[in-house]
Amino acid sequence: MKQLSIMVDLDRCIGCKTCIVACRNHHGLVDHEKAMPGEMSHYLRVETELRGTYPDLEEDYWVVMCQHCKKPPCVKACESGAIRKDAQTGIVFIDKDKCTGAKKCVAKCPYDVIQFDAARKFAHKCDLCYGRVIHGQEPVCVEVCLADALSFGEKEILLMRAEAAGKKVIKKRSAQSIIYVKS
Amino acid sequence: MHESKWIPTVCYQCKAECAILARVEDGVVKEVKGNPRARGKMCVKGMAGITTLYSQERLKYPMKRVGERGDGKFERISWDEAMNIMEKKLRDLMARGEGHKFTYSMFPHSTTDPKWRFVNAVGGFISTGLPHCDSAKIMAHLHTFGCFPNHHIAPMYYTVPKGGIMILSGRHPFGCLDDACVPRDILGAKERGAKLIVIDPIFRTEAAKADWWIPIKPGGDAALFLGMCHHLIKKNLYAKDFCDKWVREGDMAKLKAFLKDKTPEAMSKICEVPAKDIVKLAEMCAKAPSVSVDAFKSIMYGNAMDWGQAWSIFLVITGNLDNPGGQPMPEIAPMAPVKPVPPAPNLKELGYHRTGPNRDKFDHYTFILEPTWYAAQAIKDGTLKVFFASECNPALSEMGSGEWRKAVTMKDKNGNYALELFVVTEILPSETMKWADLVLPDQTNFERWELLYMPWWYNFGHTAAICQPVVKPVGESRHANRVMIDLGKRMFPQYFAFKDDVEYYDIELSGVGMTMQKMLDGGALWSPGTVGFRKYEDAGKFNTPSGKIELEWQMYKDIGREWPSPELPLEFRRDEKKYPFILVNFRTIFLNNTGAWSQNNAQLRDKVSGLDANPLLLNPIDGARLGLKDGSTVTVESSTGRVRLPVMFTEKIKPGCAGVIHGFGQTMGKVAARGAWIGDNELIADAGSHLDEQDLRGGEAHVSTRVRISK
Repeated sequence: MKQLSIMVDLDRCIGCKTCIVACRNHHGLVDHEKAMPGEMSHYLRVETELRGTYPDLEEDYWVVMCQHCKKPPCVKACESGAIRKDAQTGIVFIDKDKCTGAKKCVAKCPYDVIQFDAARKFAHKCDLCYGRVIHGQEPVCVEVCLADALSFGEKEILLMRAEAAGKKVIKKRSAQSIIYVKS
Repeated sequence: MHESKWIPTVCYQCKAECAILARVEDGVVKEVKGNPRARGKMCVKGMAGITTLYSQERLKYPMKRVGERGDGKFERISWDEAMNIMEKKLRDLMARGEGHKFTYSMFPHSTTDPKWRFVNAVGGFISTGLPHCDSAKIMAHLHTFGCFPNHHIAPMYYTVPKGGIMILSGRHPFGCLDDACVPRDILGAKERGAKLIVIDPIFRTEAAKADWWIPIKPGGDAALFLGMCHHLIKKNLYAKDFCDKWVREGDMAKLKAFLKDKTPEAMSKICEVPAKDIVKLAEMCAKAPSVSVDAFKSIMYGNAMDWGQAWSIFLVITGNLDNPGGQPMPEIAPMAPVKPVPPAPNLKELGYHRTGPNRDKFDHYTFILEPTWYAAQAIKDGTLKVFFASECNPALSEMGSGEWRKAVTMKDKNGNYALELFVVTEILPSETMKWADLVLPDQTNFERWELLYMPWWYNFGHTAAICQPVVKPVGESRHANRVMIDLGKRMFPQYFAFKDDVEYYDIELSGVGMTMQKMLDGGALWSPGTVGFRKYEDAGKFNTPSGKIELEWQMYKDIGREWPSPELPLEFRRDEKKYPFILVNFRTIFLNNTGAWSQNNAQLRDKVSGLDANPLLLNPIDGARLGLKDGSTVTVESSTGRVRLPVMFTEKIKPGCAGVIHGFGQTMGKVAARGAWIGDNELIADAGSHLDEQDLRGGEAHVSTRVRISK
C-alpha cells in the first residue's frame, strides 16, 4: 500500500483551530484585506461530540480534512477528469486547469470538504501539502498543531505508532486514509 | 529579485507575546509560526495576525474628533497637530500641579516599556488590567512567600513529574494566554502520568481533557482549598519537615487553630463540592510528588485575596514552592535602567483612583499599579483629567460600561468635558475610539520595534525577545512607543536623550551584556537558560520581612483580616432571590477579549476558524424551569444593567450559572459589529457604585455579578 496519511489523536486535539488558519495562510486561501467571516475557504474544520448529561460529561474534538478516499466519489463524479488519486502517494488531487467548475465533486463528497472558488470557477481542497511533503516537510497543519495532536507519514507506519502508543483506531471515523485514534 | 525568508519576531495578538517566525515574501507577510528556538508554538489568534496587518479597515492617519464624544465622527489631521494637542494639554495639566491626574491605560509589555517612562515623567499613573486579573495572586504570593510579582505566575507544566497533579481552578490555559506552548505541555505532562484536575462551573476543553472535572459554585475556591487544608492538617498529611523549617515560628499553630472549623463538610456547604470529594482531592495531593495550582477567573472575584491566601497556604503546607511541578518563583534579569530615570509619582499619596473619596478606608490596597477600570469613578471624582489608552479597549473592558460612557461624556457647567483629553492609539476601529478626542494609528507587531521582557517568560524558556519590523508600516501608522518617545523628547528632553526606541532598548539590554544587534544575530531571543528550583535553599531564606513563609498576614491585623474568609464574595451572598443566577464570564482562545484587533479580525470571527456567537449559556434544567425556548432571545438583568440576547442550552454549565464570553459587544468595525451580541460589562457593576463590596485587603470585586433572566 502506498498511502500518505495524517493521524489525528483525539486524546490531544483541543479544537483550537490553529491548523485551519495556518492552512489558509499557507495556501493563500484568504485575501486578508477583503476577508469577511463566513466567506473564506478552508481545507479543515473542527468537529466535536459531547456525551452525557451534567455533571457526567465527555467531549471529543477532532479535525476533518479531505480523507483521500480509497475509492474517491469525487473522482467518479468529475466528468472532465480533473480529479485523480495519485498512485505513488495516495493523495487525491484536483487539477485546477482541467476543472470546468461543474461542482459535481462538491455535491458528491461525503465529507463536505471540497471548496469552490466562485470567482475563478474551480474546485480545490487539501492535497496533504504535496508541495511541502516532496521537500521533506510535514503538511502545515501537522507542523503547527498546538497540541501535537497530528502526525504525518505513511499510513502503515502511523498505524504501527498508534499501536505502540496504546491508541485505538476509531474505526467509524477512519474508513478512508486519515486515521483517528484515542486511548 | 524574488525573496522569501523566515524572520524571528514576536506575536502581539494577545498579551502572551509568543516568539514567532514570520515568512516574508517580496515585502509581504505570508505565513507565521511558533519559533522553534523558543517553545515553538503559535495559536490561532497569532496565525490570524496577518489578517489584522492587512485589514482594509486599518487606521492609517491621525484623526481628531468632530462633534460630540460618542458620535464616532473624525477628521484627518497631521501627526504634528496631534502631537501639539497632546503636548499643550499635558503642559497645562502639569502647570496646574495636576500631573498625577494623567493616566495611561496600557499593558506594559515589560518594565522596559518607554510609554511607562513617559507617564512617570508627566507625574501620572500607568493603569492596566493587570491588577484586576492578577493582583490578588501576586499580592497573596508576595505576602506569604515573597516571590517576585510575576505576572500570571503560571506553573511550568513541562516540569511536572509522573504522578504530579495539575489543578486548574477557574482557569483556561488552553486559551494560550501564558504561552502557546501551554496546551502541549499540559498534555505532555498527562502523557508522563501527571493528573489534570479542573475545578470550574463550566465544562470546557480543559475539563474535557481532565482526569477529574469538579464543578464548583463560582467564588467557592477559597472554601474548597481551606477544606482540603483542614483535612491535610488534621490527618497529618501535610509537609511537616518543610513547614517546620520554613514557616515562621508560631504560624503553624495559628493556622491549625484557624482551620479548626473549616471542615470539609462545612466548606462543602459554601462551595457545593461534596465533602468526600474535598477529602479525596486533598489525599491525592498529599500523595503526589508535586501539585501546581493555576487560577484566573476565580481570583477576580470580591474574595480574591481570601482565595489567594488559601491557595498560598495550600501550596506551603503541601511543600510545593519552587519545585518541579509546583509553584515557580522566577527571578528578574537585571536589565539596566536608562538614566536619568524619571521619578514615579507616589501611588500611595496621589493614586488609587479606585478608592474615590474613601481613601483612608482602602488604604490597605498595596498593589504596585493603578487599575484600569476605575476610570469612570476617577473622572466623576475629578482625579482623572487626561486619559491615554493603548492596546486596550476601556469602553468594553471597563466594568460597568454604562457608567463609563456617562463619565467620559460628563460636562461641567461651562459645557466642557470633565475628562479634558482622551487619546487612543488603535490598529483597527474600536469601541473606545468612538469616545476619543484623538485617534492615533498604531502599528501591528509586524511593523514595529519592541524589546519584550517579561520575567514570567522565564517559565517558558526565554526572558527577552525582540519584536522587529518585518514589513513597511501601513499608511502613516506609528507605534505608540515611538509616539511617546517623540512626545517625551519635546517635553522632557532630559529623560529622552537617547536617539530612538532601538537605542533605548540597547541601553536596557546592557544590563545582561546584550545589545539589540547581538540579540538579533542570535535569533532575537535571550535567556539565562536556567530557571532553577528551591532557590530559597540557596538563599537560606524567603524574601519576606521575617525571611520565613508568613501564613498569617499580620499587616491586616488592624482590620482583623489576618486569615482568609471561606465565604463566597459578598455580592454572591446577597440579592439571591431577586437575581438567582451567577454570571460566569469567560474567555476563549479565539479572541483577545475586547482587543479591537482580534474583535475585528475576519478569521477570528469566522465560524469555521474562530468564534462568531456569544449567546447566554444556561443549563437545560434552568431553561425548562424558566419556561424558555432554546435559541430564543431573553432579557438578562443585573442590579446595574440590562441586555437582550439569544440563549443557548448546554449541559456544560452548572445549574444556577449563566455563562457569557467576555469581549463581544463592539459596534465599530464591520467585522466586530456583526450579530446581536453584547458585552458582559453592560451587566457588571462599575467600581464607584459598589465600593462597599470592595475587599479591604485589596482584592477586586466587580466581576462578581448576579443576574435574573426572563423571556
